[in-house]
Amino acid sequence: MDVLIFMVSGTLAAATALIFAAMGELVAEKSGMLNLGIEGMMATGAAMGFVAATVSGSYTVGFIAAALLGCVLSLIFALLTLVFRANQTASGLAIGILGLGLSSAIGKKYESMTLPGVPDLPLGPLAQIPVIGPMFFQLDVMVYLSMLLIPVTWYVLNRTRLGLTIRAVGESPVNAHALGLRVLWIRAGCVAFGGAMAGIGGAYMSTAYTPLWAEGMIAGRGWIVVALTVFGTWMVPRVAFGAYLFGSISLLELSIQALGVNVPSQLMSALPYLVTIFMLALISRNTLFIRLNSPASLGATFRL
Amino acid sequence: MKLTTGLMATAVAGLMALPAVAEDKMKIGFVYPSPIADVGWSAELNAGRAAIEEHFGDKVETLFVENVPEGPDAARIMNQMAAQGADMIMLGSFGYMNDGIKLAQQRPEMTFIHASGYKLAPNFSNFQSRNYESSYLVGMAAGDVTESNVVGIVAAYAIPEVIGMINGFALGLQEVNPDVTIKVVWLNSWFDPPKAQDSARALMAQQADVIYSLYQDTPSVVTVAEEEGVWVINTSSDMKAYAPNWLLASQIADWSSFFIESVQASMDGTFEGTAFWGGMADGTVDVKSWSDKISEGAMARITEAADAMKAGSFHPLTGPVVDQDGTERLAEGETIADPDLLGIDWLVAGVETRLPN
Repeated sequence: MDVLIFMVSGTLAAATALIFAAMGELVAEKSGMLNLGIEGMMATGAAMGFVAATVSGSYTVGFIAAALLGCVLSLIFALLTLVFRANQTASGLAIGILGLGLSSAIGKKYESMTLPGVPDLPLGPLAQIPVIGPMFFQLDVMVYLSMLLIPVTWYVLNRTRLGLTIRAVGESPVNAHALGLRVLWIRAGCVAFGGAMAGIGGAYMSTAYTPLWAEGMIAGRGWIVVALTVFGTWMVPRVAFGAYLFGSISLLELSIQALGVNVPSQLMSALPYLVTIFMLALISRNTLFIRLNSPASLGATFRL
Repeated sequence: MKLTTGLMATAVAGLMALPAVAEDKMKIGFVYPSPIADVGWSAELNAGRAAIEEHFGDKVETLFVENVPEGPDAARIMNQMAAQGADMIMLGSFGYMNDGIKLAQQRPEMTFIHASGYKLAPNFSNFQSRNYESSYLVGMAAGDVTESNVVGIVAAYAIPEVIGMINGFALGLQEVNPDVTIKVVWLNSWFDPPKAQDSARALMAQQADVIYSLYQDTPSVVTVAEEEGVWVINTSSDMKAYAPNWLLASQIADWSSFFIESVQASMDGTFEGTAFWGGMADGTVDVKSWSDKISEGAMARITEAADAMKAGSFHPLTGPVVDQDGTERLAEGETIADPDLLGIDWLVAGVETRLPN
């Protein structure tokens, strides 16, 4: 039973950072912006969030600072790609590397320091329910916010005028421009949202999930986010499913190892990646569907 | 990461480009694999650097570059140090070995000391610690405090040093408490604090009430143990501050005496490329911050074992030792030879998890 509780509550927490960053990246990509700098933005967010929370003593300040810095980094990306029309792939990678360097500079004095961690949201009687309580109702507020972000992102993208605008810009920036939409501003806004979410995701890692700062602690999670967005064929429910699947398999791997089951642990370590890609590829195997959902102008430089 | 390393390398190059104040000052370069924090592997090596500076004062000048990835970056940085007149270089990671040996052959006038590894040259020594000795001692403490009789280990990679430590730990544990199940989670990653923490939680979910954090450079495992109220043992440096209530003990390594001897030998021209094995006997390896919750009886036995190791009369890996498959690895009274220890690829019986192969 303990193992099951660990798996369920652990998965919800493990997926939180991925959900934040992936929803942000999804919105950015829907507008046609391929931001490959997520890893660096998460790392910067983690460092900034940790430092700001430590200095101010407030987690809220930490998350806001992380979101702002993620925003700034992503706006540099927007400046390069939208104003100077640089290649999105190369600019994204460059910003990612800049972000990793920046994270180490910001966090230098705080290396290996710890925080008490964002406290659990007091849910009163709900948290006291046997089994269900520890599984679902003894988590911090960011976990629930990330859950809320999924339907909100879906609703905005698919059921609002703003979402339609974003999708139109991503589908055909030239036509969107001809319709009078301000393509550059919309794209910049989507990228900024993506950067802010990546910053929050990173800050979640350093202030709530593993409440410490250590350089390199994001350890590839930003790349997982990019992969989830693509393999989830730019659909909110699939991307979210992928994030929870990845979280649960990565914990399952550790639980199986701890059980002493005789399987090669290298294979087990690769399992979260293999299963997530396989599952998402399986549910997204309809090529027509992929073409309908993938933003047609993704990664292309917009020229008038 | 590469960017900062580059920046730091530039900064160091700038430092080294300054005109030498006194020509007879010995320049010693240090290359660390991770950022220097308050705790961890690089912090321990850096303490050795501080000891050199304190011991030799004005006679030496030290420089360091931290967070150097193994591979081309490391080669570039050590070559740069050599080009700027370093007389001696300390290489802090296994993966620096090949580039280091190459440089040592090109520059016979320089001396090198390298952490771990197996290659030697007349001007290239390596150093390792007999951590399995202190592992045995902390294992005894774990056997004393466990109530669930399940002990979990969070380990990075299954390299001989780590395997040796797990074996030492398990034998010490079984000496005190033969009924304990030992579970291992292999991270297959040198650095992933969130994953290390998840592993500790996975082990706790399976009733482990002592967690042995093997070479996790950050306090990730230690803090989660403190939070959950589970005993934790730490390697590399003392993490008492991160788990004031639940730290059972910290295994530490102190490189200062070896570093100082090597510098002295380089100055005197008596440096020889040797493999240095530091243990309890010479003070390289030790255990700090024993918890006062360990029973008096167990503590007395631990002290006795520690004294025997210091006197050289007791080797933790002494037969009869049987591996997981039931094969006898060490016969009654036989102790493991150092070369075998360098290539150890079996775990003792009682460890539940298999080695990744």
